[in-house]
Amino acid sequence: MQETLQTLVGGLSLGAVYALVAMGFSLVYRTMGLVNFAHADIAMIGAYAASTFYLTSKLPFAVAMLVAIAVTAAIGLVIERVLRPLENKDFDLMLIGTIGFGIVLQAVAILIWGTTGRAVRSPVQAAPLDLFGVRVRTYDLLVMAVAALAVTGLAWFLARTKRGAAMQAVAMDHEAATAVGINVGRSNALAFSIGAGLAALAGGLVGPMLYVDASLGGALGIKGFAAAMLGGFGSIPGAVVGGLAIGVLDSYAAGHFQGYSVLVTFLVFTAAIMIRPMGVFGERTVSRA
Amino acid sequence: MAVAAWLLPYGLGSYSIHVVNIAIIYALLAIGMGLAMGISGQINLAQVAFFGVGAYTLAILTTDSGYGFWAAAILALLATVATGLFVGIPALRMQSHYLGIVTLGLALGFINWITNASITGGADGISGIPLPTLPGIDLSSEYLYYYLELVVCALGLGFGLFVVRTSLGRRLRAMRDDSLAAGAMGAEIPLLRMTAFLLASLYGGLAGVLYAGLIRYVAPETFSIGNMFILLAMVIIGGRRSLVGCVVGAIGLTLIREWLSDFSTYAQLGYGVVVVLMVVFAPTGLAGIPCRVRDFVNRRRRGKGEDRARLRPFQPYEAVEVPDAAGEPLLEIRSVTKDFRGLRALDDVSLTVEPGEIRGIVGPNGSGKTTLFNVISGFYRASSGQVRFAGRDTTTARPYALSLLGVARTFQNLRLFGQLTVRENILVALDRTRTYTIWQYAVWQPGVVRRERQLRRQAQDLLERFGLADFAEASPGSLPYGIQRRIEIARAMAARPRLLLLDEPAAGLNGEEVQQLARIVRSIRDSGTTVVLIEHNMGLVMSLCEHVTVLSSGGVIAEGTPAEVVAAPEVIEAYLGDSAMADVPRPEPAPPPTPTQAPAAPAEEPASTEAPASKEATR
Amino acid sequence: MRMLPAPRVARTETAATLAVDDLSVHYGGVRAVRSISFSVQPGASVGIIGANGAGKTSTLKALMGLVPRGGGRIMLGERDLTRVRARDMVRHGIGYVPEGRHVFPGLTVEKNLLLGAYARRWDAETRGTLVEVHELFPVLGEMSQRLAGALSGGQQQMLSIGRALMAKPRILLLDEPSMGLSPKLVGEILSALKRLREEGMSLLLVEQNAKLTFGATSHCLVMENGSVAMTGTSDALSRDIRVRQIYLGL
Repeated sequence: MQETLQTLVGGLSLGAVYALVAMGFSLVYRTMGLVNFAHADIAMIGAYAASTFYLTSKLPFAVAMLVAIAVTAAIGLVIERVLRPLENKDFDLMLIGTIGFGIVLQAVAILIWGTTGRAVRSPVQAAPLDLFGVRVRTYDLLVMAVAALAVTGLAWFLARTKRGAAMQAVAMDHEAATAVGINVGRSNALAFSIGAGLAALAGGLVGPMLYVDASLGGALGIKGFAAAMLGGFGSIPGAVVGGLAIGVLDSYAAGHFQGYSVLVTFLVFTAAIMIRPMGVFGERTVSRA
Repeated sequence: MAVAAWLLPYGLGSYSIHVVNIAIIYALLAIGMGLAMGISGQINLAQVAFFGVGAYTLAILTTDSGYGFWAAAILALLATVATGLFVGIPALRMQSHYLGIVTLGLALGFINWITNASITGGADGISGIPLPTLPGIDLSSEYLYYYLELVVCALGLGFGLFVVRTSLGRRLRAMRDDSLAAGAMGAEIPLLRMTAFLLASLYGGLAGVLYAGLIRYVAPETFSIGNMFILLAMVIIGGRRSLVGCVVGAIGLTLIREWLSDFSTYAQLGYGVVVVLMVVFAPTGLAGIPCRVRDFVNRRRRGKGEDRARLRPFQPYEAVEVPDAAGEPLLEIRSVTKDFRGLRALDDVSLTVEPGEIRGIVGPNGSGKTTLFNVISGFYRASSGQVRFAGRDTTTARPYALSLLGVARTFQNLRLFGQLTVRENILVALDRTRTYTIWQYAVWQPGVVRRERQLRRQAQDLLERFGLADFAEASPGSLPYGIQRRIEIARAMAARPRLLLLDEPAAGLNGEEVQQLARIVRSIRDSGTTVVLIEHNMGLVMSLCEHVTVLSSGGVIAEGTPAEVVAAPEVIEAYLGDSAMADVPRPEPAPPPTPTQAPAAPAEEPASTEAPASKEATR
Repeated sequence: MRMLPAPRVARTETAATLAVDDLSVHYGGVRAVRSISFSVQPGASVGIIGANGAGKTSTLKALMGLVPRGGGRIMLGERDLTRVRARDMVRHGIGYVPEGRHVFPGLTVEKNLLLGAYARRWDAETRGTLVEVHELFPVLGEMSQRLAGALSGGQQQMLSIGRALMAKPRILLLDEPSMGLSPKLVGEILSALKRLREEGMSLLLVEQNAKLTFGATSHCLVMENGSVAMTGTSDALSRDIRVRQIYLGL
């Protein structure tokens, strides 16, 4: 029991990070119908940038994070602008285009930060809490709190602001959105940069939990992807549920299958997605003309 | 080219030949990737895992279990193909990015496993793989190994091209361009998707075996996701739709990578940038560039000179005796209802089509006509009710099964296979074989060739009959709309159907073209094919159909001869919104064509729901 | 324009004539619309009718800039809209109700309406317009928090019209508002259009349903194969036998 709870808590904090990654995916997918394979590498750049500003420039952790978010949001704008000619045209080509950007970002990261990774010390020095015999690291709590805040913020933005509503409108019907006067291109660019910012947030937060190197994106990204799919592509609550589910699944697999955890995670995931391709909260069916 | 490849080792140092050997292995991998992604449209990001399964299986079997190299190679290939089929299973349920994520996830799982399992030697990998032996050839020399690889790669490329250019590849490409239309032409989409993964894994396994034999050591880093993306870059830059392009991309990129090995990060940056640029500016890759240039030049030339290609007149089919109308009906719809999430698109629709009829289905926009076609042709499953074709219950039949039974259709918005030539479009539909006959590709290729020749002869006849011979090698998208419409009808007729469903065949046609269409449809009927058409051009319906069914808001509101139907107040109401206008005297109607059989149900009653004569049919 | 107090939904602040001259539309090699010309006087209501595929929707989409305009000229009063992009048309006072309604299905009815006023500031005045739209279509007020995708076809049509009105357009373009609706609902839409007309709104109504159009407009164009086959007052056309011939291909 104790052990189960411990695994659960460990899974939840990593799951919160996956949920952030998934949320970025989902936002971009929902507004532009684009699956951004470079998302993972944006998260990796975010992790590097945040750690650099935090460790090297000695900025406070929160400020370093904000700067990192700004940097990646700008990267997001560039990607969106370059791939804009393909929007609403060739889905598979856009997907490959984002993979191309991913390759570029990885190379850039190696050029700037080298091939050796770095460990980031936790910004919270307090001792782990002991809740009913379960050890909870304070940093994990911070991660979950920030993730919850980001989810709430995004939900508020989409539900309560004019731009947020417009962004959703573009996703649902870009022609009708144009007719009411929404600048579809600008709205998509904003969505893309918010998505990139969320990736950076995830990357920055995961820095002190994992080891930051150029392959961080791969691990974080594919699980964020899986989380988004499991929850239902394009759904914000789905991203949260999917993220936590993958986090917990991952944590259990690591506990019980050690070296094979990734294999087990993805086999379970594949089985789940075969049974319900549209995910838990997904509405649209897959590839139906 | 072949001579140059043969003489190449004489000009290379020992390290260079090693690089070339690696390049050839990547070329094999890229061919497999191109077959899955470029030819079949299946986003497969697990190719590197197939490569790994092949190499590791061989390594384990030879070092652990003591198999000989070639026996182990065969088993390794089988293992890879089994893995490929397993990874392909998700493709039955999902496509595009979903498939990309799942295959990438499974590849990641595989990498995780080989890095951690003890049987694979963990991060250290497996060394001591025995040297492959061939009588009389010392394969420890990389120069001689080069020839082995060259032969395998040439055979692989040849086989790949053979597949692409014949029946199987054509179907795969048709599936890539439009899987729904391909299904309607008789292609078994699920089996074809699995075939795509089978081919990809076959080449992956082959590359793995050759790699293990060459390096005689396997370790996880060769099969990393990074290499997967480099492989993807090779295929995209070379041209995913051309196997030769894939080979060029693979060899070119491997050599450049080696050449720039001191600046590998910059090289990686370069690949990424080139992939992005290719995707935006040259989506067909290097292989596509000559074609684009040719198109450009042709367009310029056509602007000046005279365009000699023209649509020739349709040559009518030979009329056959229409089977006795007193027999069983060809198509029976029995109180079919179709709901879409609370919206009722079809509401208790019944109708019966006799053999040899030309039936018109008309009705205002959104009245459910196309939905009805989709139910008949198996794209939608009726929420309730029954569809019977030629005495069989086909309510739940898949599109390909209906196609093989003799139902063909065209589409309202034209669904030609855009990347295939007009001839290939026709060939896809002419090909009536089931997918399982692809065993011939493995064992009896002359059979494939013979069938191919026969199909091509038939295609030529059909193209000439429909006056399309001048456009046989054109891509349909470059042709005027009227010609595209005719190609769609020719393609549907290629299947020699008993029932032809035409969805708005006259849409977008000018007056002359509509006249030609009428002639074509009549001739098709006279050749023994029953025709049901949805049409808004009432003039065409009036002159063509003996019998018209009117749908409105998902239900049948009238049925009868064209003259009866246009006089029915419900129909006027549905069309013009005004029943009062029905009272305006009509001008003298053109004499209706002599009906070949008596009209059935009276206008008010939406055809009776009892089943006539169907019991006898299933004797 | 948002500065002016506008008590009624339909009141236009300045009279302006929409004049379309020589507009064509090409799709690939097909000419969907061949140099069509017409004008809508301030407060007038003009219909474009014709069978399916006659080019009605293409005309409207080209007018809006949603498909490339193949030559021609579009003027609203003194202003030249020929090169104005689709997303800016609403800022020049063109309200558009697309064929097939095209509401934003995943958003509430209220959000849909507010998005109609996207080009304006969201303030007390917007609220005022919202109340007026609710007055015109009470059902939209009752279902304010419902998702638009859950509405019936008729309600969605009302929502689509209401959304266009939220921008306080000077002229309203409607594309087949009767499509797929029962006669009773068509009647309701018709009476709403009549009321807008009484309030002085200019209307351009594209319809297959000739009866509805004749009832809601003063003048009509009958399109056939991308060109104007007939024009006249709606009264005269409603008695003209040729309209029916064009429709039924007799």
